[in-house]
Amino acid sequence: MARKRTKARAAGAPITTVVVMRLYIAGAAPNSVRAIANLEVICRRYLKGCYKLEIVDVCEHPQRALADGVLVTPSLAKVSPAPVSNVIGNLSDTDSVLAALGLPAGAIE
Amino acid sequence: MSPETLPPVRNPSDLRAEAAFNDWVRRLVKGAAELRAFDAGELDAVMDPATGTAILLPEAQAALQGSSRLVLSALDALPGEVCVLDAAGTVVMTTSAWRAFVAARAGAGLGVREGANFLAACRDAGPAERLHADAVAAGLRDVLAGARKLFRCDYVCHSPRGDCAFTLSIAGIARDGAVHAVVTRENVSERRRAGAARSSGRAKASRIAAVARAGTPNHLLAALPAKVYERLLSGLEPVKLTYGEVLYEPGEQMRYVYFPSDCLVSLLTVVEGHHALEVGLVGREGVVGFRLALGIPTASLRSLVQATGTAVRIKSDRFLRECRRSPALQVALLHFVNALMIQVTQTAACNRFHVVEARLARWLLMTRERLPSGEFHLTHEFLADMLGVRRAGVTSAACTLQRRKLIRYKRGVITILDQQGLEATACSCYRHRQVMGFEAGRDGQQSDDVHTGTRTRARRANWQRLWKREPRRVI
Repeated sequence: MARKRTKARAAGAPITTVVVMRLYIAGAAPNSVRAIANLEVICRRYLKGCYKLEIVDVCEHPQRALADGVLVTPSLAKVSPAPVSNVIGNLSDTDSVLAALGLPAGAIE
Repeated sequence: MSPETLPPVRNPSDLRAEAAFNDWVRRLVKGAAELRAFDAGELDAVMDPATGTAILLPEAQAALQGSSRLVLSALDALPGEVCVLDAAGTVVMTTSAWRAFVAARAGAGLGVREGANFLAACRDAGPAERLHADAVAAGLRDVLAGARKLFRCDYVCHSPRGDCAFTLSIAGIARDGAVHAVVTRENVSERRRAGAARSSGRAKASRIAAVARAGTPNHLLAALPAKVYERLLSGLEPVKLTYGEVLYEPGEQMRYVYFPSDCLVSLLTVVEGHHALEVGLVGREGVVGFRLALGIPTASLRSLVQATGTAVRIKSDRFLRECRRSPALQVALLHFVNALMIQVTQTAACNRFHVVEARLARWLLMTRERLPSGEFHLTHEFLADMLGVRRAGVTSAACTLQRRKLIRYKRGVITILDQQGLEATACSCYRHRQVMGFEAGRDGQQSDDVHTGTRTRARRANWQRLWKREPRRVI
């Protein structure tokens, strides 16, 4: 069994990578709350624990948002793996979010 | 979230118009070369690089204000008495329950109105509230200083309408570098009263459990239907009866009725100028004081405790009440009275016709049956009284039994060595066991779980069959 697994890896099976994301929100504003809920669903369904998420409240840390080049909230930034990408909105459009995260829609599920 | 927790919001006039805003965002997105924008929904805020602050868009702002109002309304509708204090201890918000309390008690019991200072109210508390007001003030200062997150204290508020018990808790909320406090007061008078009632109920239950645990239950009680027994149980109390104790003298009022568990009570008839003579023996199969059930409040015989042990007793009036209420108890008592009458008449005949040795053997066997162990403490004088003979006669008979290795008698302790041999020696009165009205097992161990054992169930079933044949009103 162990040998087989080694072979499979050698054949180029995808190695799970951890997706690092940062979500910028504005306090308890409705779209921000929705964005958190939508992102949680996406992470649970498509990333299955292989992710790191940091939530930044721009009302509390506006300078940080500006330093990161975030101009509107809610805004999701994929930090790694490259390429870096951003999604603006409440993340209800799952396909757009998946595309931004580099996960083709329907391919993972 | 309340409006105070939000950062200062600025609404730039050039962004109020929808078209202008859309244009601004479009330029924003186009201007950032690395931004791969996906318009996946709506926005809440935009950053103003000039001031370095987040600007909430009108819709988000309205939604937040709406939700703040909702939070305030929800807080106001809470059933608890809650007030919110600022860092200086001034009441900035109260719930309707708090306001209702303040209105009803006119400031008593730390009832502070909105706008007043809680610490000042504690300082100005009356002498009746001084003690707990000082404790609350100290707790509040600690919370506001950040020394503790939660302070809780119980206090009683005295008023002409009665005392009220409260639990007051103060929780700190750290915000903007200062600590605010939420004071929650709960009226726990009702709960305390309920707790007190429960604990008195528990005391009663533990007393009942003590009765249930106190040795082997009495057979008469065990044979009662469960419902009747449970009703009786609340009036029963365990008691230890010691050797030589007289429960009743002839002509004396019977204050209690005793149900022996593992003790033995002799019924003695007192004849003037003579020693008292035993005419009956009551152990765990019966009851002492049954004459009450016949409607006679005084004793006719001396009831003397012959073997130390436990019993349960019930007050006479309660016993009578239960008797009147429960035909089942009446029938059980009548069965016992019948058995005792047979025992008494048989004993009378036995005392007249049978030799001391046989009578002694019968008496020892009857005693053994009613006691948990085959070893009991008896003196020759006592035996002589029981059997109505001279002491010398008892000594001689005991020596004979001992020589035949049926019993061992040493320093007043009699041990039965050969039960069957003793039965053979005993007079015919003992062998008429059903006539003697005693059916208890010889082995005291058997009766340990008498209340749950199959034997008891069989007895109860048998008894219930008997009861069905009886007319409903017996007495």
